[in-house]
Amino acid sequence: MEILSHDILIVGGGLAGLRAAIEVDSAGRDVAILSKVHPLRSHSVAAQGGINASLGNAPTLVKDTWENHAHDTIQGSDYLADQDAVEVMCREAIERVIEMEHWGTLFSRTENGKIAQRPFGGAGYPRTCYSADRTGHNLLHTLYEQVTGLRIPVYEEWYALSLIVEDGRCAGILALHFFEGKIVPIYAKAVILATGGYGRIYLRSTNAVINTGSGCYLSYQAGIALEDMEFVQFHPTSLYGTNILITEAARGEGGFLYNAKGERFMERYAPKLMELGPRDIVARAIQTEINEGRGFEGEFVHLDLRHLGREKILDRLPGIHQIAMDFAGIDPVSVPIPIQPAQHYSMGGIPANVDGETPLPGLFAAGECACVSVHGANRLGGNSLLESVVFGTRAGRKASQEVGTEKRGPNQTFFQECLRRYQSGLEDIFKRKREEACFQLRNEMKSIMTYQVGIFRKESDLQRAKEKIKELKKRLQGVGMKQRTLPFNYEFIQYWELEGMLDLAEVIVEGALARKESRGSHFRLDYPERDDRNWLRHTLGFKTPEGVKLDYKEVTVTSYPPMERKY
Amino acid sequence: MKSSLLTLRINRFQKEKDPQQWIQIFQVEARKGTNLLEALLRIQDESDGTLAFRYSCRGAVCGSCAMKVNGNLVLACRTHVEDLFGKPALVEPLPFFPVIRDLIVDMSLFFEHFREMEPYLHGKPIPSQLEYLMEEEKRKEIDSYINCILCGICFGNCPAFEQDTQFLGPAMLAKAYRFLIDPRDRRLEEILKAVDSQSGVWGCKTVFNCVKVCPKQVPPTHAIVKMRGRILRQRISSLVSSISSLLSRL
Repeated sequence: MEILSHDILIVGGGLAGLRAAIEVDSAGRDVAILSKVHPLRSHSVAAQGGINASLGNAPTLVKDTWENHAHDTIQGSDYLADQDAVEVMCREAIERVIEMEHWGTLFSRTENGKIAQRPFGGAGYPRTCYSADRTGHNLLHTLYEQVTGLRIPVYEEWYALSLIVEDGRCAGILALHFFEGKIVPIYAKAVILATGGYGRIYLRSTNAVINTGSGCYLSYQAGIALEDMEFVQFHPTSLYGTNILITEAARGEGGFLYNAKGERFMERYAPKLMELGPRDIVARAIQTEINEGRGFEGEFVHLDLRHLGREKILDRLPGIHQIAMDFAGIDPVSVPIPIQPAQHYSMGGIPANVDGETPLPGLFAAGECACVSVHGANRLGGNSLLESVVFGTRAGRKASQEVGTEKRGPNQTFFQECLRRYQSGLEDIFKRKREEACFQLRNEMKSIMTYQVGIFRKESDLQRAKEKIKELKKRLQGVGMKQRTLPFNYEFIQYWELEGMLDLAEVIVEGALARKESRGSHFRLDYPERDDRNWLRHTLGFKTPEGVKLDYKEVTVTSYPPMERKY
Repeated sequence: MKSSLLTLRINRFQKEKDPQQWIQIFQVEARKGTNLLEALLRIQDESDGTLAFRYSCRGAVCGSCAMKVNGNLVLACRTHVEDLFGKPALVEPLPFFPVIRDLIVDMSLFFEHFREMEPYLHGKPIPSQLEYLMEEEKRKEIDSYINCILCGICFGNCPAFEQDTQFLGPAMLAKAYRFLIDPRDRRLEEILKAVDSQSGVWGCKTVFNCVKVCPKQVPPTHAIVKMRGRILRQRISSLVSSISSLLSRL
C-alpha cells in the first residue's frame, strides 16, 4: 500500500490554506497542500470589497486603532464573538496587511501613496483596505505566487475523504486522486483544515459551486462538535437571478438602496448608518421590503450607483460594472442593479482557538471552516479575508511548533485497516440500486434551507425543515450510481458532498430550533429579542447515532460588556 | 422566466472508451438569463454524470471553465444561453492543451511557464512595518495586467505556439510586464533578459488575438510591445556607450 507522508498537510488552497503553508514552510517543516481544485480556483478569489486593518490611512489620515476595530467587530457580532480572539485578529491585522503588500498585493492608494481604505458596514472608520473591487483576487494570486516561489507541493484536484484518527490524534487523511480514482492515505503529524464555507446548502447563495463544507463534515464525522452553525450570514446585495455577489463596497462608495416606491428605505431600519448598517440588519431590511410588497416583481430592490458617475464606478467598482454587464446585461452607470439577499458566509464551523487548535490533537482549522469565534452572530464585511490570513498564519505557526522535528511515521497496519474499511463502505454504495438521483435530493435541501431556515425563522418552519432533512437523509440511502468506478466519478463526489451537507444542514436547523432568541443573523419571528441571560453562549452540535446532540459553552468577554446595538 | 430547449453538441474524450473521441448531442431546458455552465451542470446532474468539466465560482473570476464554443474561446459561465439558442452549439475543450477527459485539459505546461517567470514580487528593501508608497496612477497602469485569472484562453488561440511550443505565452508575458513596471520590484534587467528571446517577446506575432479574447480585458500584446521597446532601447544605449568608449580610446 502506498502511503504519502508530510510533516504537515493542509487541506484547502484558498487564502487561509496558502497562508498557513507559507508559515509552515518558513518554519522549515515539510508541507503540502491538498485541494479539490487548483488553488487559484478557490472561493477566496471571489471576495471583492476588501480587508480590514486599522492603518489609519483612509483617503486622508484618521486616528483609527485596533481597539476601535475590535469594538466594531464585537458589536457587529451581536456580542457572540469571543473577545480575546477578536483582539488578536484586530491587533495582527496591520502586520498581515502590510505583509501582503510587501509580497506584491496591488492595493488601491491614497493621494500620498499609502494603502487606501474605504468605509464598510458597521465600522466606525474607513478601515477596509482594497484593490479596486477585486481584493480577493489580488490577495489569492499574491499568495499563490509566493507558494509557487517556495515550490510548496500541491495535490491538485484531490479530495480529502476522511480524517485518520489514531489513539485520539489526527494522523492524516484518506485522499482521493479524482482523475486516477485512487484512494491514497496521507500521513501527517498535523493536518490543517482550510476548506471554506458551506453556502451551497442554500439555493440562493453567493458562494462558488464548490463550497460544500467538506472540512466541517470531516471533523464532525470524527466526533468534533460544530460551533454556532445556526449563524449563517445573508449578504444584503446579491445580483437578482444568479445571486452573484455585489460587494458591500458599492454602498461603501456611496450606493443607495431603493424600494419599488422609490424610498431610500434604510432610514427606517438604521437611520444613522443607513446603507452601511451591519449585514444582518440591511439584509433583513431588504427582505422586509420585499415581503411587504415594496419590492420589484415581488423579488428584489434596487442598488443605485448612478449618482456616483461613470468615472468613479469604473475606477472603484470595475468588477461590479463587469458583473452587472455580463450576468444581468445592464450598465450600472445608467441603470440601478436589481439585488436580493442571499446566503454568503458561515459564521459557525469547526471550533478552533486563536492558534487554530481544535479539540482533536493534531487537527487544526483556519479560515471560514473554523469558528474561532471572531464573527459571533454576524460578521462585518472585510473581516473574512482578514480572518483567513491572520489565523492561517497562526495555525501554520502553531502546527509547526507542535510537530517539532521528531521522526514519526504512519502505523502501516492501522492505515491499511482505515483504507480497507473505507473501500468496503464504498463497495456497498456502488452495489446499491439507483432508486433516486442525487440532484433531486440536493435541490430539495437547498429550497428548504433558503425558504425555511433563511433570514426570518420560526418554530413551525424549522420543525418542517427538521423533518424534511430527516426524510432526505433516509432517501439518500436509496441513491445509487451508474458509474461504479472511482476515476472522474462526479456521481460519487456529489453523493459524498450531499451526505456531508445534509449533516451540516441538520446541525444548523437543530441549533436554530433550540436558540429561542434573535441575535445577529439568527432572527426568530417568534422570539424577536436578544436574550443575553439565557443565550449569550456558543452552540455546540455533536454527531450521535440518534442525531445531533446540543451543548453550549461560554462566550469570552474581555473589555466590551454586551449592549444594545444601535446603528 | 421563459425556458427554451438548448441543443449542445459536446466533443467527448474518454481514453478508456472505444472510440475514445465522439460527439454527443444533449438537449437541456435552459431559462433565458442563465449561462452555459449552468446548462452543463444540469446535463451532468440529469442526463450524464460522466460528462467531465471544471467549474468553481460561476462568476467569471476563478478561471476554471474556459472552453471552445462555436469556435470561440470563452468562459462557460460568462456565455449566455440565449446566444446559443437556434441551432446546435458545438462545445469543445480549450485548444492547444492536451485533453485529459471531455472538456478538461492538462494545464501543467501553462503553470510550468508561470513558474519559470519567477512570478512573485522581488521587493526592494523596506522596514517591515511600513508599506511601499505607490502613486495611484501607477497602480492603475499595473492593474490592467493583474486582472489576469490564468484561465488559459489566450494560449488557446495564440499563433506563436504553432512555431514554438516553448513560447512563454501571452498570460506569462503579461505577468512578467506586471512585475517589470511595479516600482516595488527590484528586478529590471533580469525580467527583460528572461523575455528577450524567440520563445519570449520576439515570438509574438502581434496579431492581438489574446487581447481580443481575454475575458478580463488584459492586453498581453501591449505588454509585449512595450517590453520589446525597452529591450531595443537598452540595446541601443549599450551600443552607443560601447561606441563612445571605443571612440574615446582612439
